[in-house]
Amino acid sequence: MRRQLRSRRAPAFPYGSRYRLDDQDEVNQNYLADEEEEAEEEAQMMMASNSEEEKEEEEEEEKEEEEGQGQPTGNAWWHKLQVINEYLWDPERRMSLARTGQSWSLILVIYFFFYASLAAVITLFMYSLFLAISPYMPTFTERVKPPGVMIRPFAHSLNFNFNVSEPDTWQHYVISLNGFLQGYNDSLQEEMNVDCPPGQYFIQDGDEDEDKKACQFKRSFLKNCSGLEDPTFGYSTGQPCILLKMNRIVGFRPELGDPVKVSCKVQRGDENDIRSINYYPESASFDLRYYPYYGKLTHVNYTSPLVAMHFTDVVKNQVVPVQCQLKGKGIINDVINDRFVGRIIFTLNIET
Amino acid sequence: MRQRKLEIYSVEHHAATDIKKKEGRDGKKDNDLELKRNQQKEELKKELDLDDHKLSNKELETKYGTDIIRGLSSTRAAELLAQNGPNALTPPKQTPEIIKFLKQMVGGFSILLWVGAVLCWIAFGIQYVSNPSASLDSVYLGTVLAVVVILTGIFAYYQEAKSTNIMASFCKMIPQQAVVIRDSEKKVIPAEQLVVGDIVEIKGGDQIPADIRLLSAQGCKVDNSSLTGESEPQSRSSEFTHENPLETKNITFYSTTCLEASTSPVGTATGMVINTGDRTIIGRIASLASGVGNEKTPIAIEIEHFVHIVAGVAVSVGILFFIIAVCMKYHVLDAIIFLIAIIVANVPEGLLATVTVALSLTAKRMAKKNCLVKNLEAVETLGSTSIICSDKTGTLTQNRMTVAHLWFDNQIFVADTSEDNLNQGFDQSSGTWTSLSKIIALCNRAEFKPGQESVPIMKRVVVGDASETALLKFSEVILGDVMEIRKRNHKVVEIPFNSTNKFQLSIHQTEDPNDKRFLLVMKGAPERILEKCSTIMINGKEQPLDKSMAQAFHTAYMELGGLGERVLGFCHFYLPADEFPETYSFDSESMNFPTSNLCFVGLLSMIDPPRSTVPDAVTKCRSAGIKVIMVTGDHPITAKAIAKSVGIISANSETVEDIAKRCNIAVEQVNKRDAKAAVVTGMELKDMSPEQLDELLANYPEIVFARTSPQQKLIIVEGCQRQDAVVAVTGDGVNDSPALKKADIGVAMGITGSDAAKNAADMILLDDNFSSIVTGVEEGRLIFDNLKKTIAYTLTKNIAELCPFLIYIILGLPLPIGTITLLFIDLGTDIIPSIALAYEKAESDIMNRKPRHKKKDRLVNQQLAVYSYLHIGLMQALGAFLVYFTVYAQQGFRPTSLFHLRIAWDSDHLNDLEDNYGQEWTSYQRQYLEWTGYTAFFVGIMVQQIADLIIRKTRKNSIFKQGLFRNKVIWVGIASQIIVALLLSYGLGSITALNFTMLKAQYWFVAVPHAILIWVYDEMRKLFIRLYPGSWWDKNMYY
Repeated sequence: MRRQLRSRRAPAFPYGSRYRLDDQDEVNQNYLADEEEEAEEEAQMMMASNSEEEKEEEEEEEKEEEEGQGQPTGNAWWHKLQVINEYLWDPERRMSLARTGQSWSLILVIYFFFYASLAAVITLFMYSLFLAISPYMPTFTERVKPPGVMIRPFAHSLNFNFNVSEPDTWQHYVISLNGFLQGYNDSLQEEMNVDCPPGQYFIQDGDEDEDKKACQFKRSFLKNCSGLEDPTFGYSTGQPCILLKMNRIVGFRPELGDPVKVSCKVQRGDENDIRSINYYPESASFDLRYYPYYGKLTHVNYTSPLVAMHFTDVVKNQVVPVQCQLKGKGIINDVINDRFVGRIIFTLNIET
Repeated sequence: MRQRKLEIYSVEHHAATDIKKKEGRDGKKDNDLELKRNQQKEELKKELDLDDHKLSNKELETKYGTDIIRGLSSTRAAELLAQNGPNALTPPKQTPEIIKFLKQMVGGFSILLWVGAVLCWIAFGIQYVSNPSASLDSVYLGTVLAVVVILTGIFAYYQEAKSTNIMASFCKMIPQQAVVIRDSEKKVIPAEQLVVGDIVEIKGGDQIPADIRLLSAQGCKVDNSSLTGESEPQSRSSEFTHENPLETKNITFYSTTCLEASTSPVGTATGMVINTGDRTIIGRIASLASGVGNEKTPIAIEIEHFVHIVAGVAVSVGILFFIIAVCMKYHVLDAIIFLIAIIVANVPEGLLATVTVALSLTAKRMAKKNCLVKNLEAVETLGSTSIICSDKTGTLTQNRMTVAHLWFDNQIFVADTSEDNLNQGFDQSSGTWTSLSKIIALCNRAEFKPGQESVPIMKRVVVGDASETALLKFSEVILGDVMEIRKRNHKVVEIPFNSTNKFQLSIHQTEDPNDKRFLLVMKGAPERILEKCSTIMINGKEQPLDKSMAQAFHTAYMELGGLGERVLGFCHFYLPADEFPETYSFDSESMNFPTSNLCFVGLLSMIDPPRSTVPDAVTKCRSAGIKVIMVTGDHPITAKAIAKSVGIISANSETVEDIAKRCNIAVEQVNKRDAKAAVVTGMELKDMSPEQLDELLANYPEIVFARTSPQQKLIIVEGCQRQDAVVAVTGDGVNDSPALKKADIGVAMGITGSDAAKNAADMILLDDNFSSIVTGVEEGRLIFDNLKKTIAYTLTKNIAELCPFLIYIILGLPLPIGTITLLFIDLGTDIIPSIALAYEKAESDIMNRKPRHKKKDRLVNQQLAVYSYLHIGLMQALGAFLVYFTVYAQQGFRPTSLFHLRIAWDSDHLNDLEDNYGQEWTSYQRQYLEWTGYTAFFVGIMVQQIADLIIRKTRKNSIFKQGLFRNKVIWVGIASQIIVALLLSYGLGSITALNFTMLKAQYWFVAVPHAILIWVYDEMRKLFIRLYPGSWWDKNMYY
C-alpha cells in the first residue's frame, strides 16, 4: 500500500532531496516510468549490479519504509545532477532549459530588440549629457581643489635611500629627473612657449575653444638642480635635488601678489638634521604668470612650474623625514586624510 | 513486526556481493529503527484496542493481578511502577534553545553572509600582515555583515520562540492526587504513582487520575469535553454498554472531570486503573500531537525556494567572476573581495525580515477580524488552502439547540432559527398551539440564572441541558415570562427524563382558579409519547387518534427526523377532578396517576442551526476553489442536514444513497460517478484502505464525514494532503490536536477550544465562526500576492548593485558603488517601501480564483526573476550608471577615460593622476570623488526604486486603475526612501567610514527620466498582458 502511495508521490518530487541510499532503485524506477534518459539506466545498472531477483526483494523491503524520513545522501546529488542535466538538454522533447529552439529564437529576437532600444535610449541620454558638458572647462573643480603636491624623482616610493659611493643606488633618480626635465629644455621652451611677464597672471581672454599660449618654464631656472651643470643632480655628492610640482587645476589662481611658496623642514625630529636647503627659483615660489591653467584641450603646451629643493646639508646615515608645504592664500596644507594636499612628506636616507 | 523483520533479514542471504551485503546491513539497521518509529506512530493512529470494558470484575482481577476490595500490595505497585514508569505524560525531546538560536544564525542567507564576513576578516588579516597600514574597510564590512546576520537571526529566533509548547497544555490537565486502595487501606498518593491494577476512588469534582474501568458507580457523570468535544456531561456506570471502549459507560478517561457521583451512598465511584501515563487515551493523543512533525508551511517552502534561487545566483556569479578575476591577473585577495561584494550585492539582506514584518502586519489585520494567528507563516497558508476540513458543532453551527420545526394540527410550521430568534412568524392562533405552548413551558426543568433581565433572551445563561434550554428560550420568546407561567401553574410532581422511560412528565395545578383539575404534561421520544395517547388535538379539539392520524404523525416524524433534527413529542391530559381532588397526593415513585390514553398535542423538532453567515462563507469558499469537507462526530443524518443547509452539499447534488432512493434501486447498482456528494461514516472509513480514501476524496467534490473519531480526523487530513492539497482543519477538542498539528494550518476555536487544541493550532478563531476563516483566506491570498510584489521590488535592484562590480572587474572603471553603500540600500532606503507593498489592496477579486497550486504557482517564479533581473534591474543599472558618469564627467573624468583606469585610480602613490582637462588629482581627492560616485550611484538606484515601487503596486492592472494614492503607506515608503538618502548624504556625509558625501542637488534628478522610462515600460508590459491574455507576452512577462 505504501508502495503505491509512494509511486504516486515520487514523481511529484523530482527534486526530492531526501531519498535514502537504498531508495535509489525506486527513485530510478519512478523516474524511468517518466521516460527518462538512457544514461540514467546505465548509471543505475552500474551502481546496482545485482540480479533481478534481489532487486525485487529490495523493493519489498522498501515498501516498509516511510517516505521522507531518510537522510539526504550522495544519491540525492546524483539525482539532482540528472535533473539538471535533463533541464539543460532534454533530447526527448528537444528542449534546452525547458524551451524549444523556436521558443529560444523568439526570446532572443525579443530580447535583442529590447536591449537594442534600451541601448539606444541610454546612448541618447549619454549623448545629451556630453552635449551639456564643456570639453574645455570642467563643470566643477571643487573636488580637485585645493591643489595637491607631487615630487620628482618618483618611482612608487617616497623614501630616498641611496649610497653616495654606489652610483647604482641613485642612478635611477638621475635618469628619472633627466627624463622628466626633457620637456623643460630651454630650446624647447623657447620654441613652443612665450616669455610672459613675471609677477602677474597670464590671462588670455577669448573663446573657450581658442588655443591658449603657455609661459616658458626653462630648465635653466632650476640652476644647480637643472642637471645642466651637475648631471647627477647632486646625488653623487650627497646633496640631492628634489623637484616639487603643484597639481594642475583648471582656473586655479594663487592670490595676486602672493605667489605660492614652498618650504621644507624636518617633520617630527631634530630640526638640525637638515641644516640647509637651497630653493630654485630662489623665490621658492610658483610665479603667478603660470596661472590660470586653461585645460588640456586648448592649453596644449602648458608647462607646470617647478620648485627645486637642493638639500645641501643633511645628516647622513640616518632617516630624515622631510615635509614640504605649500604656503599661500587659498592653499590648504593640513588635511588629515590627504597627505598630498598642499604638502608632501618623504624621507631622506643618505649613506656615505 | 516480527514477520516483517524476517523478510528484511532474508534479503541479506541473497545479497550478491560482500560489499553490497555490508551496505545492505547498515541500511537495514536504519530501516529497523525507522520502522519501529513509524509503527509506533501508526499504532497511535489506530483505534483504541481495549477489551477491559467487556470483562467481568473477576476477569479483571485475574488480568491485572489485583483485588477489588484490598487493592494492590504496595510491593506489587512499586514493581509495576518500576516496570511501566510513572503515570505521567512523557514530554517530547526538546531541542535546546541554543541549538534553535544557532539554527537561525545559519538559516537562509545567513550562512552566505557569514562566509562573506569571514572572508572580509581573512582578507584584512592578509593585508595587515603585508601592510600594517591597510585600510580598515574590509573590517568594517565584515563587522557590518556579521551584525546584520546576528540581528536578523535574533529577529527570527524571537519570532519562533513565541510559539508555545504543546505538551505544557496537556500537563496542565493532569490531576495531582488520587485516592487509592492499597494493602486494604485508603491512601492519598500523587497521581503519578498510580499503576495498572490500582483500585481508585473518585468523588464528584475530581479529575480522573488514569484510564479507569468503573467497578461501582451510581449517578456518576463525567465531563469528556476536553477529550471528545462533547459538551454534555456523560453518565457513567459500571455496566458494559457499548462495544467501543470510547463509548461504553464503564470506562472513564485520564484527565477528564468527574462532575457528580453524589447519589451513590458513599459519594464516590470506584474503579480499576487499566492504563497509565502515555498509554492512556489522553497520553496517546498527546504523543500523537507532539509526534506529528511540524510540516513546513507553504510560505516557508516558497521562501526557501527563493533563498535557493538567489543564493544560487549569488554564489555562481560570485565564483564565475572570481575565476574571471583570477584569470585577469588580479591579486587573489582582490578577487576574494570582489567575491564578497558580489555576494553582498546579490543577497537581499533585509528581505527576510521584511517578509516577517509583512506577515505580522497581516496577522494583526487578521486578529482584528477575529483570526488570531499564532504562527506567522500560517498567515499565508490559509491563502493557499485548497481543502478546509471543518468541524460542525460550533464552527458551522451556533452550538446551541434551537427549535426549528413544529407539527401540530397536522401541519409543519417553521420556526426562526437565526441567531436572534425573535421573528417567530408561524400561525399561533390555533387552540392546539395554546396547549402545546403550555406543555412546552411547563414540562421543563431548565431555568434562567437570576439577574439577567436585561440580557437578550438568546444570550441568557440557562441551568439545564441543551434541549430544555432551547425549549425554555423558545417559549420565553413567544409566551413571555415563563417563570411567571410556571408560578401560576404550580407544579405538584414531576418525573425527570431518563433513558429507560424516555419521557419527562409533570403535573400542575392550572392557572384557572375555576378549573380544579390537574394538568398532566409530558414530553419525550415521539414514538413513546404516541404509544401513551389515544386522542389527538386538532384545531384545539380532541379527536380520537385513528390510523390516518397515526400515519400523518409518522410522516411528519420521519420528515423532521430526516432533516437531522431532534424530535420531541408532547401530550397532555387533564386529570379528572373527581378522581384527583386538590388534596390528592401524587407520588413519582409509584406513579399513582394515569400515563396512558393521553391526548397527543404535537411534535417539535430542534437542531443546532447553522450560523447565519456560514452559507455565504461556504459559497465564497466554493467560488475561491476551496473544497469544504465537514468532519463531525455527529450523526450522519444531522450532519447531512446541516451540510445541505450551509451548502457544503449543494442543493442539487445527491449522494449515492439519495440516487438509490430516488430511482428505487439498490445502493450497489448506482453509478458512483453520478453522485457528487458523499456522506461517509466513521465505521465505513475504518474499513477503507488509503487508496479508497484517496479515491473518495478525489472523486467527490462534496463530502461529509460523520461519526468520526479524532484518529480518523487525522487520517482524513493525511488523505487530503496526499492529494497535494493544502489542508486547513478546524477543531476544538483535545482529541483534535493531532489533526490540527498535522494540518497545513490548524484552526482552533477561541471560545470552545481546549488549551491543547489552541496550542496545536496555528490560528485561533476568536469568535468560533467559520466565516472568519474566509476572511483569513482572503488575507492570506492577498499577502501572497503582495509578497510577490515585495520580492520583485527587492530583487530588481540586485542587478543595479551587481553590475558595478562586474564592470569594475571587467572594464576597470573606478568602483561605482561600495559594498557598505549597498547595505544602506538593502537595509536602509528599501526597507519601509518593501513593507509598504504589504498594504497594497488586491488587484482583482482574489476570492474568485483557484487556490494556488503548491508546486506550480511559486512565490518567485522564472518570470518574476527574469523580469526583475533582466528588464527592470538592467534599466535601473543603466540609470544609476548615468548618474555615476555624470558626476565623474562634470568633475573632469569623461566616461571614455574611465575605462581601464582602475589600476592608476586605485594606486595610493599616484598623487597626480591627470583627468580629461589635464588637472591632476591626488589619491585622496580621487577617493573622495569615488565616494561621491558611490553616493551618486546610490541616489540613482534610490530614485529608480521609487519608480520600481510604484510599478510593483500592480502586476497586471494599470497603476491608474489601482489608484496611485489609495495605499498611503506607499507614499510613506517613498518619503522614507528620500529622507534616508538625504540623511545619509547630507547628515552623515562627513563620516568617512560610511563612504557617503554631500551630493550636489542636481544629481538627485539625473535618474528621474530613467525612472519615468521604467514606469512607462512597465505600463506597456501590463497593457500588453491585458490586451493579449494567453499570448507569449502574457506567459513570459506576467509574474
